[in-house]
Amino acid sequence: MNQGGSGRVSGRVGGTEGGLLFYLSFDTDLQVGSENHTPMSVASTPSLSSRIVSELTAIVGAENVLHQRDELVVYECDGYVIEKSVPDVVVFPTSTEQVVGVVKLCERHQLPFVPRGAGTSLAGGTLAVGGGVMLCLTRMKRILEINTRDRYAIVEPGVVNLWLTRALAGTGFHYAPDPSSQSACTIGGNVATNSGGPHTLKYGVTVNHVRGVELVLPDGSVVQAGGVTEDNPGYDLAGLIVGHEGTFGVATKVTVGLTRDPEAGRTLLGVFESVDAATETVSGIIAAGIVPAALEMLDNLMIQAVEKAFHFGFPTEAGAVLIIEVDGLDAGLDREAQAIAEIVRTHGGSVSKSISWRTRKEPEYVAIWKSRKSAFGAIGRLSPTFCTQDGVVPRTKLPHILRHITRVGERHGLRIANVFHAGDGNIHPILLFDERDPDQVKRVLVASHEILEECIAVGGSVTGEHGIGVEKMEFMPQLFTPEDLATMVALRNMFNPTGRCSPDKMLPGGAGCIERKSPGHRASA
Amino acid sequence: MTWPESPLGGRLGDGRFAIATDRPETVDALRQAVVARVGEGLALYPQGGATALDYGGVPRAPGIALDTRSLNQVIDYPAADMTITVEAGITLGMLRSVLAAEKQRVQLDAPHPDRATLGGVFATNTRGPRSFGLGRPRDQVIGVSFVTSEGNLVKGGGRVVKNVAGYDFPRLLTGSMGTLGILTQLTLKVRPIPESSALVWVPFTSLDSAAPALDRLNISATRPVAVELLNRLGSRLAGEALGLPIEDWTLVAGFEDNTESVEWQVNRLMIELGRTNIVIREGTSSDPLWSALTELQAAEVGPLSFVANLRPSSVVSFVKEVDSSRWALQAHAGNGIVRGHATGTSELEGFAPDVARLRALAVRDGGNLILSRCPTEAKAELGVWGEPRADWNIAERIKKTLDPAGVLNPGRFVGTI
Ligand SMILES: Cc1cc2nc3c(=O)[nH]c(=O)nc-3n(C[C@H](O)[C@H](O)[C@H](O)COP(=O)(O)OP(=O)(O)OC[C@H]3O[C@@H](n4cnc5c(N)ncnc54)[C@H](O)[C@@H]3O)c2cc1C
Repeated sequence: MNQGGSGRVSGRVGGTEGGLLFYLSFDTDLQVGSENHTPMSVASTPSLSSRIVSELTAIVGAENVLHQRDELVVYECDGYVIEKSVPDVVVFPTSTEQVVGVVKLCERHQLPFVPRGAGTSLAGGTLAVGGGVMLCLTRMKRILEINTRDRYAIVEPGVVNLWLTRALAGTGFHYAPDPSSQSACTIGGNVATNSGGPHTLKYGVTVNHVRGVELVLPDGSVVQAGGVTEDNPGYDLAGLIVGHEGTFGVATKVTVGLTRDPEAGRTLLGVFESVDAATETVSGIIAAGIVPAALEMLDNLMIQAVEKAFHFGFPTEAGAVLIIEVDGLDAGLDREAQAIAEIVRTHGGSVSKSISWRTRKEPEYVAIWKSRKSAFGAIGRLSPTFCTQDGVVPRTKLPHILRHITRVGERHGLRIANVFHAGDGNIHPILLFDERDPDQVKRVLVASHEILEECIAVGGSVTGEHGIGVEKMEFMPQLFTPEDLATMVALRNMFNPTGRCSPDKMLPGGAGCIERKSPGHRASA
Repeated sequence: MTWPESPLGGRLGDGRFAIATDRPETVDALRQAVVARVGEGLALYPQGGATALDYGGVPRAPGIALDTRSLNQVIDYPAADMTITVEAGITLGMLRSVLAAEKQRVQLDAPHPDRATLGGVFATNTRGPRSFGLGRPRDQVIGVSFVTSEGNLVKGGGRVVKNVAGYDFPRLLTGSMGTLGILTQLTLKVRPIPESSALVWVPFTSLDSAAPALDRLNISATRPVAVELLNRLGSRLAGEALGLPIEDWTLVAGFEDNTESVEWQVNRLMIELGRTNIVIREGTSSDPLWSALTELQAAEVGPLSFVANLRPSSVVSFVKEVDSSRWALQAHAGNGIVRGHATGTSELEGFAPDVARLRALAVRDGGNLILSRCPTEAKAELGVWGEPRADWNIAERIKKTLDPAGVLNPGRFVGTI
């Protein structure tokens, strides 16, 4: 993974079958910029014929092609660092026509290719399995149109999620999906993974906010799915394309829906002695018929890390805190906030802060969400390496799954921190370990499995937002029947008949026939 | 195989009759029926409450009706998780009463809720006034199961509100008109029934005076869940029986939230619109108007009905082009959806030119215009699904992938589907 910006990524552990691990250690804010990397000293061994490189150069221009080994190493993996494979060449197309040109060239030469946004995937979605061409969309980064009257924006795929938020500031509208990685991740990546975020509880995930996608298929044809208007006759292709994890083609334009800003909000910090009390409170709030805009939980380990990093004023002795937010029209919010405070107290908690806000820019509001959204970065203070998991359970099963996580941690002698989208039942246990100790690595793998398997057992899923990628393919047969999977494979083959687009992702068995052209740079054993 | 001449086997819509109607009581029985009937060389026409049998193209091949109404069980209703899993043959009305017992609801509006099945609502992507604030059917569904024409039971999504494992069959199947699979089960998000509800009926004597109000609503300090625009004929159909004042145009804004918020919004709207001559229907007295607005969508007051999808900002210029003396109009104005119903007994020929002209306008705006009702004999010529779209060729390929034999609702949907 690239070592750019202020994000430092580490993790060179291999021999881990099943590939469940993701471990990162960020110093501060996530800043994954794919262009400002520190080159590593690796011998230059361009493995793709120079003819192909010059053909690519003719399409996108010399400044938009990387083919030297030392430049390519940066792209050997994304936020999921356990598996590595260096692409043979990385191109940065700047237009749909260039993407078409590159894809057609890949077709002519039967080369595998993989789209990549900012590379913040936590599931290895951008891994260049079998080498080939990586299409990095970060230079297609224009916001093409913002139309608040008709409540849409059209953007190129490389537009960073937060840029759109910024561009919309002051208009009274916003783009609702707000992944914690929003300062780095791209809309194209969000569309490919159907990203969520803290505010998806009330406002929905990416698919609920995408109206149209321009997609370049692996044969070079361009599909305009959906559009600026709703309910165009035909199948909901835009809906189908969201969450394709790069296996259908390359998204080159996205039309997103815009949402009115809330008039006001109340953000409460609930403090609890135990994780149990906090998760019971989550169930209590939902059961009371309140739909918060966000409902996030941090446990004690996480509180300590975040407090050390950001000094927000989280009580470091607490067993858990909940960030509970309601928004909408000011008129009824006080009563709603009071009702929530009452539920917090009923479960033995207390409300240590209550922020009443009119815009999402008020300093205390910004501070609490910065703490939450940078939590992954803060964890670096507790442990050099860690593995972030992503699972979902029905909301009422939160107390159960959190107890399970504690037991798993105890059983394997691992520290596990929790920071997650509690209102959606979307857990993110973070398993702390030392990558130099192979036994710990093994235990982290086993523990991750045990947690995800319990998610399935209680009727949940192994991923709420990070995707299957290469990381979780082995779980697919546990979630889906052979008939379900065969139907998915058939659809994938329709869009991507040779499987050369993002080979060996998402669906087990893959296309199968991709020959690994170069061994790539696998995680060192 | 020839078309039966007698209605004894059941109706397929468009004056076509089924060879027989199968009413499987279990999903397994449904699968067996599918395999057996396809083996006999028959096409399959899934049906729910038969509220929309004439919707879409004309059935192309003789076959059987598959009545899904016996598959109507509630599979799992963990109210505290705010999800429900039900079989697709349950009616919307029945589903609502199950949820009401827990003070919850699904965010779906559809005409004839006591007959319309959930499978039908989702297959036809039926939406209503509240889709402006509460989302469309595609925003409510988190999991589906369906039986393919090969007899396989396939599922996508799941029972939890967030889940990105696998391709998005819930979205693909929503609005697929029963041409990819027979929906057998759906998992939906549910929400608490809001504390309070109000509809504000604002009559206007001209479209020019209503237009600024629509622009204003887009940035209003209020947050309406419904923004409807009706012409005089539409207003009459929806409001006359309820004693509402009828003018040339009516703007209807709907609010749902806690009591304080709804009260504040209604007052605020009056200030923003600078109007006092409005009618407010609040609490339970809003219910009849909510259903009247929803039933209006299915009005049968003449030979033809259309649905145009536009940019919301184009709604006014579009309806200006429609002859309001002959078409009853209802726009979900906030979403850019305009529904028109030809009125009177006059001949179809009188309306056909309007269709072509209005469709061209909609297409120029990036949208389209479909015919939700149309005499069978005119369907091919008028094109019920509107101007062909370039992405229909992908739709056709998806159809071939999921229904290789092409036996599910043949002729019903876009292109050659
Ligand atoms: C600290 C941290 C916090 C995170 N928090 C969240 C969170 O709250 N919610 C959440 O959902 N995720 C979260 N993620 C995961 C990740 O940020 C998201 O999956 C994000 O959407 C990926 O965007 P990206 O631009 O980095 O895409 P990449 O990582 O570059 O790519 C992701 C996938 O999308 C495909 N892809 C990218 N661009 C295109 C395109 N134009 N066309 C076709 N396919 C494409 C790739 O092939 C790959 O499969 C987090 C990650 C980190 C590191």
